[in-house]
Amino acid sequence: MSDSQSTAAAAAFAAIPEKNLRLFWKAYEGRYDEVSARAAEELLALPEFAAFANLINEEESAARQEASHLRLAQAVDTGSWDEYAEELVSQGEMYGEMSISFVSWYKAISVVRVVVLPHLVEAYGSSGDDLVAAVLGMDAFFDVAMATIGTSYLLRKEATIMVQQDAIRELSTPVLPLREGMLILPVVGVVDSHRAHQLTQGLLEAIRASRATVAVVDITGVPSVDSKVANHFIQTVEAAKLMGTVVILTGLSPAIAKALVTLGVDLTKLNTVGDLRGGVEEAERLLGYQVSQIGA
Amino acid sequence: MAVPILRQGEVLIVTLQGDLGDAEWAKLTDDLLERVAERPTRFAVLDLSVVDVLDSFACRTIVGLTRMVSLRGPKMIVAGIRPSVAFAMVQLGALLPGVATALDLDHAMALMAHA
Repeated sequence: MSDSQSTAAAAAFAAIPEKNLRLFWKAYEGRYDEVSARAAEELLALPEFAAFANLINEEESAARQEASHLRLAQAVDTGSWDEYAEELVSQGEMYGEMSISFVSWYKAISVVRVVVLPHLVEAYGSSGDDLVAAVLGMDAFFDVAMATIGTSYLLRKEATIMVQQDAIRELSTPVLPLREGMLILPVVGVVDSHRAHQLTQGLLEAIRASRATVAVVDITGVPSVDSKVANHFIQTVEAAKLMGTVVILTGLSPAIAKALVTLGVDLTKLNTVGDLRGGVEEAERLLGYQVSQIGA
Repeated sequence: MAVPILRQGEVLIVTLQGDLGDAEWAKLTDDLLERVAERPTRFAVLDLSVVDVLDSFACRTIVGLTRMVSLRGPKMIVAGIRPSVAFAMVQLGALLPGVATALDLDHAMALMAHA
């Protein structure tokens, strides 16, 4: 992914008119250290960055900056941008990993433009054509650089989101065997039709795998249920019944009970018990378990 | 191919060996209704554990079959319906009212022992 990205960035850098770029670089290079220091200052001033500031080794970062300087000088000189593009890609990924906000790093890096511009004027002020060319070179350079960093930043963020979504999906449908023949399915959070389908599948598969004859579905943690999802629950209960399993639904909040009756959902087929405790007790009764307190 | 119907005392057991065609379903219904009358029968078990797919005709046949057998006396038990088949049956409206269901043949035996 990042390979093709840095290749594309390198091609974009190479497409910048050489004369413009060289004029810009000539003025920029003399001030490189000063400009980098200003940008670093801006970055370190960010509250998100402050948490990492004490982890940064000054010698290391100076060495990195020197290496980056060399890579850029070489790229301008030879027109081969691969290494520099790779550096920008990893820079964007780093910002993504550190959860620095887009606005913050964009602003910090844009400082470079502001600092360099007066030097361009100073160097080429006497020749209008050169000045325009240098400014165009600078703009083209930063457009590509920012786009490269921004793209890898967003890709990194998206990758994080994907991982989190998978984690949530897995966490959201646990089916727990409580006793021989008894399953508990605690449902927490908003249930949409996609998730309802997933819950159904998870429950029916678990019933088959564990040979459970009673399943308790607890929806205490579900804030609301619409008629579509309610119907899905009813279908699940009926499907489980066909498989030979009784489903007990527990934890219907007052709001859900009211909504379901108002919507006209037929709940007579459902076996409902007020809370999870009552549901488990009912399930134990159906399975023939008797729980007693020792010494009571 | 005829579906074998086994008798174990007062219990008839039908285990499907694969998905059936329409004609086979009709023949199974006739055969089972015949066998129910030949000797006193308390239970008839239909084991669907190898069935992957049921079309609407098969669903309707099963609903009819279970009702017809019940009319002749025995208690009907359907065993081993798979998750996907169960959900398809619900969506086709084949809910098997008044029929006992079991996870598998073992569970069906347990239900009969307790009845």
